[in-house]
Parts: sequence; C-alpha cells; structure tokens
Amino acid sequence: MSRRTTPQEDFIRGIWKENPVLVQLLGLCPTLAVTGTVDNALTMGIATFFVLLGSSVLVATFKSVIPKEVRISAYILVIATFVTIADNVLHAVVPEIHKSLGPFVPLIVVNCIILGRQEAFASKNTVGRATLDAIGTGFGFIITMMIMGSMRELLGNGTWLGYPLFGAHFEPWVIMVLPPGGFFTLGFILLGIAWWKGRTAVPVRPRRWPHGVTTEVGGSTS
Amino acid sequence: MKELFWIFISASLVSNFTLALFLGLCPFLGVSGKVATAVRMGMANIFVLVITSLTVSALNTWVLPHAPYLQLISFIVVIASLVQIVEMAIKKLSPTLFRELGIFLPLITTNCAILGLALFQTNRGYGFMEGLVFALGGGVGLTLALVLMASIRETVELADVPSVARNMGLVLILAGSLSLAFMGFAGLFSS
Amino acid sequence: MENPRFELTASPHIKGPDSTPRIMWSVVGSLAPVIFAAIWYFGPSAVFVIAAATLGCVLTERVFGPGGSLKDGSAVITGLLLGLTLPAGIPLWMAFLGGIFAIGLGKLIFGGLGQNVFNPALLGRAFLQAAFPEALTTWPNVSGPWWALRGDNFALPFMSANPVATVTGATPLGLMKFEGTHTELAKLIIGSTGGSLGETAAVMILLGGAYLALKKYLDWRIPISIFLTVAVLSQIIHVFMPEEPGALFMLFSGGLMLGAVFMATDMVTSPTAPKGAWIYGGGIGVLVVVIRLWGGLPEGVMYAILLMNSLVPFINRATQPRLFGTGKEAAA
Repeated sequence: MSRRTTPQEDFIRGIWKENPVLVQLLGLCPTLAVTGTVDNALTMGIATFFVLLGSSVLVATFKSVIPKEVRISAYILVIATFVTIADNVLHAVVPEIHKSLGPFVPLIVVNCIILGRQEAFASKNTVGRATLDAIGTGFGFIITMMIMGSMRELLGNGTWLGYPLFGAHFEPWVIMVLPPGGFFTLGFILLGIAWWKGRTAVPVRPRRWPHGVTTEVGGSTS
Repeated sequence: MKELFWIFISASLVSNFTLALFLGLCPFLGVSGKVATAVRMGMANIFVLVITSLTVSALNTWVLPHAPYLQLISFIVVIASLVQIVEMAIKKLSPTLFRELGIFLPLITTNCAILGLALFQTNRGYGFMEGLVFALGGGVGLTLALVLMASIRETVELADVPSVARNMGLVLILAGSLSLAFMGFAGLFSS
Repeated sequence: MENPRFELTASPHIKGPDSTPRIMWSVVGSLAPVIFAAIWYFGPSAVFVIAAATLGCVLTERVFGPGGSLKDGSAVITGLLLGLTLPAGIPLWMAFLGGIFAIGLGKLIFGGLGQNVFNPALLGRAFLQAAFPEALTTWPNVSGPWWALRGDNFALPFMSANPVATVTGATPLGLMKFEGTHTELAKLIIGSTGGSLGETAAVMILLGGAYLALKKYLDWRIPISIFLTVAVLSQIIHVFMPEEPGALFMLFSGGLMLGAVFMATDMVTSPTAPKGAWIYGGGIGVLVVVIRLWGGLPEGVMYAILLMNSLVPFINRATQPRLFGTGKEAAA
C-alpha cells in the first residue's frame, strides 16, 4: 500500500474492486455454508458486518497500545468478544435463524476477512478511515452473501426470503441448497466475473515479423 | 461401538468435513497443488484436530459448565496456543515441511476445521470417545478431500483450461463435482 | 499453420489408423443395440429423452466448444449415454439441462475432449439426481401400450411433471432394498424390468461392449475387474448373510452393466496403465457393493464411477510404469 488512498476509496473499494469474497477469495466458508436461504445469508452478512465494524474501530483505537508481537492474538480476542455478543444477540432476536446457522455464527471468528482487515488496514490507519474501510468491506460481504443466497434460494426453493415467486408448479433444483450447489454457484459467479473482465481486456494477437518470427502483442493490462 | 463407527463414517465420508460441512476450505482451495504437501498438511490437521478434541472434552467437562460465556474465547486461546506448540515442533523436526507449508501453518490456528470441530463437538453433545472419533473421522475426511483435490489439480495443470476458469472458477467446479460424487455415500451404514 | 515451427507432441509418435473421430463414432454404433432395446421397452418416450439429452450436449459443445469439435462425436456419445441413464418419464427440459451441465461443467471447462476428470455423462446424471431427486427416481411401469408416453415428458421448462401422467413401477434394486422381493434373472437379462432407459437390457449392453472390446476401443480389464469384484464380494456376503442378494442378481440389476461397459471405460477418465485399470475396476466394484448393500440409495454405480474417476490421477501416479533404464529408486 504505497499510495495514500482517499476516504472515498477506503469506503468504495471493498464493495466491488476489492470485494472480500469475489476478488480476494476470503471468507469462503460462510459464503458456501450458510447461503442456502436468503434469511440465513443476510443474517450472517449482518452479523459479520457488525463484528468487522466493531473490531476495526476497537483495533484502530488501541493500535498504539497493542504490542506488535502479540497483535494477532489480540485481534482474535477482540473479534471473539464481538462474535460472542453477536451470537447472543442473534440467539435472542432471531432464535430460528440462529438455530439453523448453528456453529457457523461462532465460526465468524475464523473468517479471514475480519482478521485480514485488522492486520492490513485497521492497525495502520485512523479510527475514521478504519470505520469507512470496515463499512465498505462489510457491505461487499453482505452483497456477496445476498447474491449467493438469492441465486440458491430462487432456484433451490422457488422462493425469495420465503415468498414463492414462480408459482406452485415450479420444480425446485434441490441441489442448489445442498453443499455441491454452494460450490457450483460460487464457481459460476467467479466464471462470470472472469468472463466479464476478460471481455474488456486487450486481446492477444500475433504480430508477424520477417523471417517467420512471430511475437504476441497486447494481452491483459492488469 | 456401532455408534462410534457411524460417527467416523459420517465425518469422513457421508458429511465430509470439507465437502459437506465446508470446514477447512482454506487449505482445500489454497494449498492443494501438490499431493505430497497435501498429505502432510492433512496429517498436520489430523494431529491438531485430535489435540483439539481432547482439549474441548476437558474444557466442556470441567470449565465451561461454570462459565458458558467463555466458550468461544477459551476454545480459541487454548487451540491457538496448542497450534503454536505444534508449529515449533514441526519447525524443529522437519524444516522442509515448515518451509513448504509456509504461511498455512499459522493459518491452522484460524482454520475453520479446528474451531469447527470444537463447536460441532460441543453442539452435538459428544463425549470424550465420541469427540475423539469425530476428530479422527473429520481429519481423515479433510485429508481425503485435500489429497483428491491435489492429485486432480496436478493433472488439470496440464490441460488447456479456458482463461475464464484459470483461477478459482475451475477449482470451485471441481470441489462441487467432488462434493456431488460424495453424495453417493448418503445414508451409509445409517440403518 | 503459416509459420514453420517444430511440432512438439507427446508420445505416441507412431500413428495407427484409429483416429479420435473413428473411435468415437464406433462407440456411437455400439450403443445402437442398447438404444434399440430402450425404444423397444419404453416407446416414444425413450426417443424423446435421448434426443433431448443429446441436443443439450451438442448445442453446448457447438456454442462454447472449440470450433469443429462436434465432428469428433464425443458430445454425441455423452448425450446418448446421459439419455440412457435417465428414466423414461422425466420432463425433456431436465434431460436437456443435464446435457448442458455434462458438457459445460463436465468437459469444456477443463479445455475440452481428453482433459476432463469426471465422466461428463455421469456428472450430468449426478447433477440431475441431486437437483430433481423425485423426477429421477420415478420409474415408469414397463407394461402398457408401446406408443404411449411413459410420463409427463412435455412438462414446461422449470415446471414439475404432472404426477398423474406416470404409472410408476419400481426397479429390481429398489424392490430388493425396500421390499425385499427378488426379480427373476431371465427378466433382468432381457431387460423387461423397470429402470433407466438403457440399463435394463443386459444382453444388448454386453453385445455392444464385446464389439468395442474386440476392436480394442475399450480396456477389457475395467469391466472384467468390476464384474469380478462385484460377483465375488456379493457372493461371499450372500453366504454369510443369506438375506442379501447373490452374485447374479447384483451383476444383472441396476446400472452395473451400462456403467461398467460404457461409462467406466471412458478412455479419458480411466487409468492409463493396465495395473491401474485393475485397481480402478476393483475400486468401483467394492464401492458399488458397499453403496447398494449399506448405503441409503438403492443404486450406487454412478457414484462409484465418479468417486473412482476422482482417484484416477492418483492411481495414474502410483502405477506409472518405470522408465526404461532407470532404477527402482528413480521411479518411486
């Protein structure tokens, strides 16, 4: 991170350009495990958002006090505290969803996105910018969870947030709510993104020189 | 005995730790380029999983009934310090392995599989023996998934994979296909 | 190619008359008796389902595949095989979707023919099985007029089949597993039982397989090792647990014949070394017996082959013949 970034960039980059799941490929465990329904995906997204925001603010506030040698352990303890709070709140507010998420709520602790943002950003920047960064990254995660959850629930159950959309005769694709469906859905989204990016890249074309020598010109600029 | 056998089969094949419960995805999707590394990574995981299971049984019996809110934090602290010990041991005993696994060893601390085992074991109310068998089964399942993925990826590296699938796309489709194949074990030995 | 370059290819450098298209179209020919039996037993539904699956495969290959790759015939084989593993009564859109999945995610994503890990037809079948478990296990009854549709084949895309349209029966394996009744062997051999389109007529499958084995287009070790393992293992179990079926029933029921002869022997997804072929076939046999007898599903041939497909890279590594002139240590 050599170049200074503006606050707008801190906020916006986590949503698309550096989307934690789709671009950085972090936090795949919840993205695959709990996106069978939009309910679960959204709840997980919000819980993760809360934990990320809380930890980032706290870590950025106390960054000068945390000794460098034990910083990772300190981050994890901070994160675990917020996860415990989130777990208990979910248990009280949405007991049904909390039950169906099961151990995946406490597993937010090991979501690489959160630890990654502490180490890469919150521990090096001011509270305000850490907050913006956490909100952007958290939104990026929620959006991904919603895309995954919507695709899987729509096809796998014919509903969105529990409302039937396709009528009574729709044949649900049961696989979409099963584990293989999670892998396939995410794989498909990543293929789509790669295709989209490849579409705008400069194509590789051969350039012929005398004496039968051929070199390649162009290619991806990124 | 039959119950224990079923727990083992369930964690390793029927609801495979990685392919059905999505635990240990980081090493599964990340490190699995070489079969030899995958085997050793799997072994390291089995080892840590077994230690974790023993620790969790102890914590669940003697500590957590008195302070349930400490569950998550105590799991993490105890597991993390254990992994630290394993890391030092591996560094001492096999520097090559230490070099090869690189950044993944510290990541075992934050590996879903380890904390996942602790949480699933607690959630399902497994006792000492059940937890141990669950850890072994889960570890074997994780290793199986890692090794299969590694050997497939070694082969696929020689294929003319279309550019859109070069990065993670193909790996996820492969993972999905493996997960699909493992559905054949559904209901195995359950009746 | 305009500019002269050295053409660097892997061995073998000595070429025989057999080209990929020639082998592939021979396989299509060898499927003819199986398709004939399917049409004989399941009427026009068989034609529609096989055609829909093949169309799904061929269109996907045409749209996303490298130019001209249709000519090698492999997409047609995948489509026919996929169609033959489906029940006669399923909605055609499902068969079509299975074809798209089989070729798209089973083959083209690896870079096309010869590079895939899983058998595309079986991957498509497994996808359909997981996506639409009910439609894929609704077996039409074989009796009834020949020309009648065997189910709601023409259900609109994405819509369920009308359950009234199908007179359902059961497969011999289902009968054995859930009701404990046996089907006569003679019926199993000629194929007048419930089941997927192409799996019932054992004698027709063996006919096609024998032709391919004579032409050396399939490795005879694979089906033989599967049959041997299944027969020996189930007979031993039958002796100790008489309630479990014996060797003959296990061999001639379900998709074992079709899978062992046409799916497991797929050149791309089976081991290259002879020793590997024995290990691979044996593994399939063991998995089939385990899933059939102790699994939750009545039939496990498809999963057994897919699971062993995933082990093929590993088997190939382990059974690589030693390089000529190198010592034992070098090979290890």
